[in-house]
Amino acid sequence: MNRPSWRRLLATVAPGAFWLVVFSLLPTLLILYASFLQRGPHGWLSGPLTLVNYARFFGISSSGFDPLYLNILGRSFLLGIVTTVAVVLLGYPFAFFIARSRHKNLLLLLVVLPFWTNFLIRVYAWIVIFQRRGVLNALLTYLHLPTLHLYPSWTAVYVGTIYTYLPFLILPLYASVEKVDWTLLEAAYDLGAGRVRGFWHAIFPQTLPGLVAGVLLVFIPALGTFVISDLLGAGKAILIGNVIQQQFGGSRDWAFGSAAAFVLMALVLLGLWLYARRAGESGMGELL
Amino acid sequence: MSGRRLLTLHGVLVLLFLYLPIAVIVVLSFNASKYGVQWHGFTLKWYAALLGHARIHGYVTNSLIIATSSTLIATVLGTLLALGIHRYRFFGRGGLLFLLYVPVVIPDIVMGVSLLLFFAWAQNYLRALHLGLGTVIVAHVTFQIAYVTLVVKSRLAGLDPSLEEAAADLGATSWRRFWKVTFPLVWPGIAAAALLAFTLSLDDFVITFFTAGPGSTTLPIYIYSSVKRGVTPEVHAVSTLMILVTTMALLGVQRASNRR
Amino acid sequence: MKKTLLALLLLLTPVLARGELRIFNWSDYVPEEVLQEFSKRYDVRIIYDTFESPEAMMAKLQGGAVRDYDIIVPPDYYVAELARSGLITKLDHGRLPNLKNLYPEFQDPAYDPHDAYSVPYQWGTTGIAYRKSDVPGGVDSWAVFFDPKAYVGPFLLLDEMRETIGAALKYLGYSLNDTNPDHLEEAKQLLISAKKRGMGFADSVGARSRLLAGDAVVVHNYSGDIFAIKDEDPSITYVIPKEGGTIWVDALAIPAQAPDLENAYAFINFLLEPKVAAAVSNYNRYASPVKAAEPYLDRDLLFNPAVYPTPEVRAKLEFIHDLGPATQLYDRIWTEVKAR
Repeated sequence: MNRPSWRRLLATVAPGAFWLVVFSLLPTLLILYASFLQRGPHGWLSGPLTLVNYARFFGISSSGFDPLYLNILGRSFLLGIVTTVAVVLLGYPFAFFIARSRHKNLLLLLVVLPFWTNFLIRVYAWIVIFQRRGVLNALLTYLHLPTLHLYPSWTAVYVGTIYTYLPFLILPLYASVEKVDWTLLEAAYDLGAGRVRGFWHAIFPQTLPGLVAGVLLVFIPALGTFVISDLLGAGKAILIGNVIQQQFGGSRDWAFGSAAAFVLMALVLLGLWLYARRAGESGMGELL
Repeated sequence: MSGRRLLTLHGVLVLLFLYLPIAVIVVLSFNASKYGVQWHGFTLKWYAALLGHARIHGYVTNSLIIATSSTLIATVLGTLLALGIHRYRFFGRGGLLFLLYVPVVIPDIVMGVSLLLFFAWAQNYLRALHLGLGTVIVAHVTFQIAYVTLVVKSRLAGLDPSLEEAAADLGATSWRRFWKVTFPLVWPGIAAAALLAFTLSLDDFVITFFTAGPGSTTLPIYIYSSVKRGVTPEVHAVSTLMILVTTMALLGVQRASNRR
Repeated sequence: MKKTLLALLLLLTPVLARGELRIFNWSDYVPEEVLQEFSKRYDVRIIYDTFESPEAMMAKLQGGAVRDYDIIVPPDYYVAELARSGLITKLDHGRLPNLKNLYPEFQDPAYDPHDAYSVPYQWGTTGIAYRKSDVPGGVDSWAVFFDPKAYVGPFLLLDEMRETIGAALKYLGYSLNDTNPDHLEEAKQLLISAKKRGMGFADSVGARSRLLAGDAVVVHNYSGDIFAIKDEDPSITYVIPKEGGTIWVDALAIPAQAPDLENAYAFINFLLEPKVAAAVSNYNRYASPVKAAEPYLDRDLLFNPAVYPTPEVRAKLEFIHDLGPATQLYDRIWTEVKAR
């Protein structure tokens, strides 16, 4: 880590930083401002500045505490966590599979290729798989197994979410796994470590930067999902993303929608900050 | 079963999982039923309809222009950003790192609306950034940068710094050092990042919708609107064609590189 | 670097060609032949951009797209608001001689008196669709969703806040624009129990697919969407419940700062021509507000009471009004229904 010359800093950081400040920070500040306004009579924003949107979100009103939105937020976090765990279980070995294959580039492209078709169409395809007279039940019947009623259900929502975010883990993870130094594993074996211990101490730490990046790129967007829960959960499964979507859609209350979005953002950034502080010493905080 | 075999088995199962919905889409694109999900017999009429649908060609072109240019810009900016953040300590570094996460955490619709408001403001006061292909590219780059930077940075983390130092000791200029030493080491990370960025761009609907102007409708915008109106077989056909064309291109590249 | 900048600048510059008509509409809502015919006759290039929800269209207009389009197609309940916020032009009826082709009731609709700001394009209703083969007794009331005793099989409600709360209000005998909190509370309880009994909520196309696939036997849906699938499965039937339902109109309007007024008026007037209006309705399978189109309409469309309801049924239909700040009441109930 160096103290840089201005020229180098300008050449590397400045363009990206400028871009983010202009096109990300400024628009976000506009939305922060909107979260302190109210829905106008014509569905547009109007003043004066107020905290009612936040009070509404946290369920604080004259009639007492009501955790409606907080419960929904909790459900979103649960979905995010379960999805992330499942994606890691599927994606972690797969990154090694790619890295150790002779056709790395082809496999890498095969991972993203399905995602070049449209998201909505892919989610609809899962309905066709899960519906009562769908692909899955046809297969189960063929195998003389009892059929399942998976559409609509939380199971379907989870499968759809895991499916959607899998490549977001595999790609960064692969970038780490690909440069793993396998000689360390042999050294560990030489020192008498078993296969599991050897992997855990020699290989796993090397993949950690990619894993952390991947986990963040899965967990954070999964928190805001709404299309998948709408379609595969038949609207029975409401998440924080649906609440926000509804405010910018049918309810046209941009102010409340902005407030809800800000609570979500603040929680995530706070979590990242806490993680960075705790992980700082081990060097993993560097990722943040 | 050996570990190696187990790994391959797992790999094949994951690929099956990834391609199961794609198989469904391909099959449905040959389904004679216009609205249903029941099999009504084989047909090619949706492909024929597609050929005559000039507007769809325009939407596909728009999508490709946007995805290609935004990925190029974002990959360059993001890689530089990752290098700078990885190497240097400077004032505002922490803030910049958090700023990177904003496009990842902010829900699409909020980002779309905030950019729309921002562009409207810029149009009113600066007479710049009229809604069109340009604003869509700007918006895409904004969310892509974050993903590119994070992926490249994870590759840089733990990269052996002694290699660069050695090159410096040998008197290589910083540009040469980057090009000859760092770049080849980071390359897989950059490629993975660019792939992710391209995929995100091709798939995005919400942010694109809010930042698009007249004539910059993309394939996802058209598809969302079509699906909401229930016109799906052509959409299945477009999806199938896109998969087919890219697969063929990939196989071609693969064969060409094998021959070398 | 300079070259990229130049390229970027070029991309940012709007293309201002003469004779261009920019339409912002649902996808495939105007048949391609109709667009081509207009394009030929008036020598204009047509740019057809699409949206997937009226709210998204509203957001874009409010965000500045008001100077980008010549024609937009808002639903009835946004026309008044668009007019009040100055986002659409007051129409010059002198430039729309074909307005006389409309049915009298569409020359003076409740949502936009005297068609001052908009011209009806297509119209329809919201009601119930069911599989006759699975429900031999038929369905004639919202009770099929809201009364456990009237349950006939798996059902889906529309995932549209106003439509679905509106259906419950109609079943209870209230207006679907009711803002009385007690009435809304009753509707909420009905919806929560209906949600538990049924399969859940879906958009109109999703619900329709479930009906076709046989997962659901009854669904809450739009008339045109159901009529379009008649050929796929003749046993699917659409009814307007005896308590009444929603009537809706998709209207044509001109944004306040439309770049090409001339062609915008020409296009609206063109769509009111009898043969053109008939071609549109025959394609979309929705009812046409153009009376003069009757002779050219498909017979099975014109004489279908689900598409052109009888006057008695018409009397029981209501338009959805924009409720302004009271929308928050609906939103609250909708979230609770979804969350419980």
